[in-house]
Amino acid sequence: MRKVAIVGMGTTKFKARWIDKTYYELAYDAAKMAMEDAGIGREEIGCAVYGIYNDFFQRQYQPDAFVHDYIGLGLKPMVRVNSGGATGGAALRIGYSEVASGLYDICLVLGVEKCNDCYNYEMGITTPEVLRAILYTADMTYDNPAGRTAASGFALAVIAHMEKYGNPTEEQMAKVSVKNHFNATKNPVAQSPQIITVEDVLKSRKIVEPFKFYDNCLYTEGSSAVILASERVARQITDKPVWISGLGASVDYVIPGNRPNIYTFESSRVAAKKAYDMAGIKDPIEELDLAELHDAFTGTEIMAYEDCFFCEEGDGGRLIDEGTVMPEGQLPVNLSGGLIGCGHAVGATGIMQTYEIALHLRGEAGERQQKNARRGLVQSIGGTLCTWTVCLVLEREDR
Amino acid sequence: MKDHEIEQWYSYYHEKFKIPKEYLRRDYEAELSGKNPMEAPLEIPDKMEIFFKYSLGQQSRFFRELRENKKIFGAKCIKCGKVYCPPRANCHLCYRQTEWVPLEGNGVIKACTVQYYTTSAFIKKVPFICAYVQLDGTDSLMMTNMEVEDVSRVKVGTRVKAVFREERTGSITDFYFRPVE
Ligand SMILES: [Zn+2]
Repeated sequence: MRKVAIVGMGTTKFKARWIDKTYYELAYDAAKMAMEDAGIGREEIGCAVYGIYNDFFQRQYQPDAFVHDYIGLGLKPMVRVNSGGATGGAALRIGYSEVASGLYDICLVLGVEKCNDCYNYEMGITTPEVLRAILYTADMTYDNPAGRTAASGFALAVIAHMEKYGNPTEEQMAKVSVKNHFNATKNPVAQSPQIITVEDVLKSRKIVEPFKFYDNCLYTEGSSAVILASERVARQITDKPVWISGLGASVDYVIPGNRPNIYTFESSRVAAKKAYDMAGIKDPIEELDLAELHDAFTGTEIMAYEDCFFCEEGDGGRLIDEGTVMPEGQLPVNLSGGLIGCGHAVGATGIMQTYEIALHLRGEAGERQQKNARRGLVQSIGGTLCTWTVCLVLEREDR
Repeated sequence: MKDHEIEQWYSYYHEKFKIPKEYLRRDYEAELSGKNPMEAPLEIPDKMEIFFKYSLGQQSRFFRELRENKKIFGAKCIKCGKVYCPPRANCHLCYRQTEWVPLEGNGVIKACTVQYYTTSAFIKKVPFICAYVQLDGTDSLMMTNMEVEDVSRVKVGTRVKAVFREERTGSITDFYFRPVE
């Protein structure tokens, strides 16, 4: 396998509504930024991978074909990836394979999502209709008729974790929300920068037990892109390559009744282990400088501390209490603001997280720059109770 | 547009999607209120819809028993004996067939939460319970929702029984679970 580097990247702002752009126009913006960052044109791109989650969101089946056309990559091969919330991470994994295998020297990996065109006229708001579109990805025969949401699936897992280990407590989850909203205040592309208190989170309206409003990410529109290149090409076109040194993926049983338990996310543990082994990491909390974990919900960020082996199983709540994952802590988590603060533009999210880590490794993260960031972790998850996980370890040249 | 053309536009979407005209009017007026209305983003109502005659394949008997006989069946692996409900025609572990076994329709809540917010298809029902139920005699979990007066009464370990609806369509919603007193 050949070494693979990120040689260019770009992201649109993450916001609730890009009323003045279609999904392929957003994709164009991110692609252009990434190509400019890499200093290459569309002609030099060998192939593309698109992360686009929900066809209902785009009001278009096979939206990848229209993105590919709109950004001028006609006659080059491409493939669309859809792995629920992990779509962005999964797209990066396929892009990595394209380059590592030697098939192509330069691959564009682009995620885009535009959910808030879904609209419920009766209520005059978008979210319940967005959730209805998402529910078509639950099993249509047995699960869809139960009216559950992504949040209720993850809530069941967090409750099971609380029952087994006594945490995360509602206060610990609230602290994660406060942290991620605060981190977003330093990120110019973030959707939800806010200074809030633990009290604000605890008092916000109930969504699904035990999550309150501020425990949830918001639905976001946006597009993010990275350009991956082989070592030879990377050395030619950039002096600040960011290497993908570890990559792991796992897909659990989508029907949780087929799993031994629901209080851990086994796909995350398998994916993280594989990524660490590949990168030669033995003690993640000592050897990583920062991480972007998939915080669709505060409780699942805390479960991710455990599933990514930052601590023992059942001990996740301690890391937020002790400040380990705070910006000034030993292993800051979600300096971008994460899904809660920066936003969750599903297909783009894993790529935004990767962009964030790469920005720190290049020393270009501005006000939120993590000092001496040399190695970081991206965790991208999705599906019913974390069916999919993709983990990437990113490193800078001189680590 | 002229007034009668605007009215036609309202009528078209009102008749096509049952959107109240006042909503369409509100959006239309907002759209044109900016400085440069011809360049403003134009949002149009739309809907994606498809009809099916969906085959339930090897699970057909399960749904037919619900509809015709008010009976819940599980599917038991002929090799390892694991009982699935929701049923399946074969075992994903042994790669062998399953056979139908009648169930009593009693079970226990293995995981549960309360939904206060949900999709537009269900939002009028909140708060309701979202739970995984394990039916007695099975080794799997079934996702269900439960509308109960006091949501705090339903917990992990709560015993439930299946109650069949008068009107049954051959769908998983032909029955629902009630807590056992
Ligand atoms: Zn078997």
